[in-house]
Amino acid sequence: MKSPIFFVLLIITLGLLAWGTYQAIMVAPAEATMGDAQRIFYYHVPAATAASFLFWGNFLASIWYLWKRSPVADALAVAGAEVGVVFFGVVLISGPIWARYAWGTFWVWDARLTTSLVLWLLYVSYLVLRSSSEAGSTSVMAAALAVFAALDMPIVYMSNRWFRTSHPQPMIGTPNLNPEMQHVLLWNMLAFCMFALLIAWFRFELERASQKINALHIQKATQSTMAMTIAPVMLFFVDEKLLHEQMVQHRFMVAGYIAVWTIYIGYLLFLMNKLAKLRKEEAALNVENHVASRSSYV
Amino acid sequence: MSLSVTRLTWINVAKDLRLEWRSRDVLNSMLFFSLLVVVIFSFSFSPTAEESRRFVGGLVWTAFLFSTIMALNQSWARELRNGVLDAYRVSPAPPEALFFGKCIGNFLLVLLLECLMSPLFVLFYNLRSIGPYWQLAVIFLLGTWALVVNGTFFAAMSIRTRNRELMLPLLLLPISIPAVVAMVTATTDVLTGELSAVSQMKFLAGYCVIFTTACFLLFETVLNAE
Repeated sequence: MKSPIFFVLLIITLGLLAWGTYQAIMVAPAEATMGDAQRIFYYHVPAATAASFLFWGNFLASIWYLWKRSPVADALAVAGAEVGVVFFGVVLISGPIWARYAWGTFWVWDARLTTSLVLWLLYVSYLVLRSSSEAGSTSVMAAALAVFAALDMPIVYMSNRWFRTSHPQPMIGTPNLNPEMQHVLLWNMLAFCMFALLIAWFRFELERASQKINALHIQKATQSTMAMTIAPVMLFFVDEKLLHEQMVQHRFMVAGYIAVWTIYIGYLLFLMNKLAKLRKEEAALNVENHVASRSSYV
Repeated sequence: MSLSVTRLTWINVAKDLRLEWRSRDVLNSMLFFSLLVVVIFSFSFSPTAEESRRFVGGLVWTAFLFSTIMALNQSWARELRNGVLDAYRVSPAPPEALFFGKCIGNFLLVLLLECLMSPLFVLFYNLRSIGPYWQLAVIFLLGTWALVVNGTFFAAMSIRTRNRELMLPLLLLPISIPAVVAMVTATTDVLTGELSAVSQMKFLAGYCVIFTTACFLLFETVLNAE
């Protein structure tokens, strides 16, 4: 990772995640009927917001790619889609855990849930297309598919307002949301959006590295992965204490945290694995690497 | 020699239909496939007329959706043989003509399938529409176009991937879910006569317009992707 900004941001993000989680668990008032189970709200909603930003990023990068055919745009599109799928996966996992408590069932086929699932499936199909198309045409076809997927986005947002749904309505800035809760939510939103941004940045660098198979890039990218796994580990300590509590609401909250962080950590491990593979490839290509770095691949 | 886009489109449609008429590969397999779906579902559920009115909307569209996928895969696979697609790419003919030619050809084919199969559905499931039945015609026209326009586009994309035929449903189904939901809901609404299907039809029309435009704008890019 080239930029020192990345490390500054990394430290700020870790601080924000810890602060946000502390606020969500300790400071935010318990909800009147749902108690601690409602605390899933503080990372369910931020993950959804972060994922929407990432999907927008994917869309804009795809347009940019179709226009200029820049490999930078392509790498941005990959990072946006893949990290977006992870964050949206978190939304789709943490939502049902909350719903099991609040609605008594994991899943209902209402407009919001259905369209969210569709959106997630769309970006999964985007990743499938990327992994199975023939080299050369991948980027163009993926960019075209991204435009189609992005056309589905407004339908997702509209559906929340057009149809009757049992999913809670957006309530930031409305009197329905306790100001204290809103305060905590906004902190968490900032933390998770920055977290998403950092992972996307890391993924972007990885994609660039795999585009170039450049030793220097990979070397520098490694250092940040190690640091980024600290955040999840730290949060598991918080969960550890709570596991001994026998309250049902607590259990839902803990289940939510564990599920969500399993996904985040799993994804980070996946990225690290990818990095290791790239390094192996780089070692194998040691001789050609020389030539590749001087070739016109920009 | 210059031909207008419309003329070229119709040449493409006529060529596709003529080829299909001579071999009848696709139509026969589609027909047989939907017939099997009708029979198997009828065995699995053995519904009464009242019950079948509620779920036959979903069943009809499932059968047509999967038969459409069969047709779409074939329609581009034909162009790969003897490098026809590459020949088209180097020719000065506008790619939109090729795309809409394929689209209209597939559309007509699927419509023919629907006309042949619908009486069977009525027969096997003892159907009678309670709502205004003429709306079904509009729903089927819009729904078929919604499936075919995206399907033709994504079939052109998926034949360029490693796993060809396998790829099409993976790309097409997620994109089509909103349309499929609207078609099924509208069909069920008309059959049961409980709700008006007009808003769903408007939704379908909007969907068709949006995605036809998107296909039109992006087809050339996908065709020439290297």
